[in-house]
Amino acid sequence: MSASPSANMGCMDEFLVATGLTKSFDGVQVVESVSFTVHAKEIFGLLGPNGAGKTTTIRMLSTVLGPDEGDVTVDGHSVGRESDAVRRLIGVCPQELALYPELSATDNLVFFGRMAGLSGKEAKERAADVLERVGLTERAKDAVRKYSGGMKRRVNIAIALMSRPRLLFLDEPTVGIDPQSRNHIFDTVLALRDEGMSVLYTTHYMEEADRLCDRIGVMDAGRIIALGTPTELKAQIGDPGATTLEEVFLSLTGRSLRD
Amino acid sequence: MRLLLRQALLLSVKDTRLFFRDRFALGFALLFPILFIVAFSLALGDIGPEDEQLRMAVATEEEGGFSRQVIDALTATDATGVDEWDPQDAEQAVREGSLPGYVLFPADFTQRMFGGGSTVVRITDSEGGEQTVRLTGEDSGARILVVTADGDPETEAILGGLARSIAGRIGTLSLAARGVIELEGFTALDLARLGELGAAPPSIVFTTEQVGDVEPFNASNFTLPGYLTMFVFFAAALGAEAIARERQTQTLERLLANGVRRSSIVAGKMLASLYRGFLQLAFLWVLGIFAFSIDFGESPAAVIVVSVFMAVASSAFGVMLAALVHTVKSASSAAVLASLTLAPLGGCWWPLFITPDWMQALGRLTPHGWANDAFNKLMLFGAEGQDVLVNMLALALFAAGFLVIAVARFRTVSAN
Ligand SMILES: Nc1ncnc2c1ncn2[C@@H]1O[C@H](COP(=O)(O)OP(=O)(O)OP(=O)(O)O)[C@@H](O)[C@H]1O
Ligand SMILES: [Mg+2]
Repeated sequence: MSASPSANMGCMDEFLVATGLTKSFDGVQVVESVSFTVHAKEIFGLLGPNGAGKTTTIRMLSTVLGPDEGDVTVDGHSVGRESDAVRRLIGVCPQELALYPELSATDNLVFFGRMAGLSGKEAKERAADVLERVGLTERAKDAVRKYSGGMKRRVNIAIALMSRPRLLFLDEPTVGIDPQSRNHIFDTVLALRDEGMSVLYTTHYMEEADRLCDRIGVMDAGRIIALGTPTELKAQIGDPGATTLEEVFLSLTGRSLRD
Repeated sequence: MRLLLRQALLLSVKDTRLFFRDRFALGFALLFPILFIVAFSLALGDIGPEDEQLRMAVATEEEGGFSRQVIDALTATDATGVDEWDPQDAEQAVREGSLPGYVLFPADFTQRMFGGGSTVVRITDSEGGEQTVRLTGEDSGARILVVTADGDPETEAILGGLARSIAGRIGTLSLAARGVIELEGFTALDLARLGELGAAPPSIVFTTEQVGDVEPFNASNFTLPGYLTMFVFFAAALGAEAIARERQTQTLERLLANGVRRSSIVAGKMLASLYRGFLQLAFLWVLGIFAFSIDFGESPAAVIVVSVFMAVASSAFGVMLAALVHTVKSASSAAVLASLTLAPLGGCWWPLFITPDWMQALGRLTPHGWANDAFNKLMLFGAEGQDVLVNMLALALFAAGFLVIAVARFRTVSAN
């Protein structure tokens, strides 16, 4: 099974390009001139403390929220002008558990699959594939309400995979779950990348970013304040071999509490 | 257009599945109204003395307030056998022995009713002896007094029954209101027990005998459409809560990023609410016909058409409410507040035609008012379809207005 429908993906190196994204709510600037690129087949980490503007940025990248200024292209399609084309390329796993707890995992997946345009049959087949991938086949018929926290998170990700996206947004996908589930999610994300998917991953767990991400953008108070590979970022403050990303993060964003 | 329809239908089917899994929502939409209709129909419908000479006297020390509404409803038609007395005259008449007794609403009735606690019936004889019949819980709520001359058991029984049935339905009402307000903890709300408490039927059931050609007055002909309207709107308004929750859990956002149109979401939500409304209509009308012998009047089709317009307006109302509020909590408060304000204003609790002109005018500002006006005309006064065309038009305009606001203001993203 391959998650990438396109054969010529490697040619398009810059898969997502964000330029000068700016957004304010009620006069308060929440995202300010954010620019970065996500290359094809890479995991790009967006790190930042609470309220940094990560979720708001993802909303703008995924066509849900219009930016006040700036634009985004995904595989050359403008998010503002060709949102339908962009929506066919992306999958979004929101920060909240965006699912219906009273329905089973299969029913959730089939529902979202059909809403994305799949036929009933296609949706069922794909749901089975995706459930297998996140290791939930055995509990597929149970109401999600009865799942453990880690299983719920995996369903949340599974839903985003239903449309076989080429770019996957994962907004803090591992909040509040045990190491087993977390490792399972890491393995899934790495496998998806190796199959050709691009991933934008937000988190505030530094070791997670260090382990997963090919490149990282550090966000604070609505702005990108550092951009590079984990090794490059560590080199900014010391010996990359002896420094942790956590130290980089704290030295960049300061030690004061955020909320 | 086809895409929009497909998405809206899929969404509404999903919502309907969820509705059938939600025991509280089902109970609220279908069982609550029955509870109310039973309580009110018992209170209003079958009150009446068995022989013509025996009439019941009620009096209130309040200037306006809720007792005014109750008395107006009770005295709206002669068939109930209830007369209103001035409280001083009634007291005098009891002392002189010309009146066996009366039911009295004390001056603080409305105030205590809204202060919480239960509604209590006290039986007092003119010598001051007192006997309290508690309907629910502790004795802190509103009181209804039954005053009798000499503790004559028959008078006590008749007036006590009247007072208890009034207390019963007021109790149901405040219980329901409280239950709904505490929605967050609704698992603790035991519907069966609530029914026991609130709708406890009066211990004495009065029967009306048919006299000559006059049809016995069937109160269900206005209590049923009234509560039907109230609960169709109430259930639709509570639907706003589910929409707000979907905004909070980012499912609406997820749909949007999946290529679902905003208008499909609005249409899907409205459709789902409409199915629920139709289910309520079918259920309660059928129940009304078989269990309460209600009469659809000269044009039953017009009753159905009016109820369909009413359901359409209610579903647009619910989606509009969701568009206007920000959080799940504010959605439930707004739903309860709007429903419990619009229902009495719109004549769901007592017929508008017995109220003063200014209240009737106020009623016309609500969709409930137009619906009830049509139901009353059709089911009580023998009107025909064309007499209520303006009501249908008004309901359609309300629906359109609500929908315009809903579409203009509908947000899929919540602030976190
Ligand atoms: N729709 C909105 N209306 C008003 N303010 C908003 C809205 N969405 C986000 N905000 C505000 O914008 C700021 C950034 O929020 P955002 O959710 O993007 O941060 P985040 O980096 O995802 O934080 P977290 O790590 O807590 O998820 C916060 O202060 C938030 O309150
Ligand atoms: Mg966030």
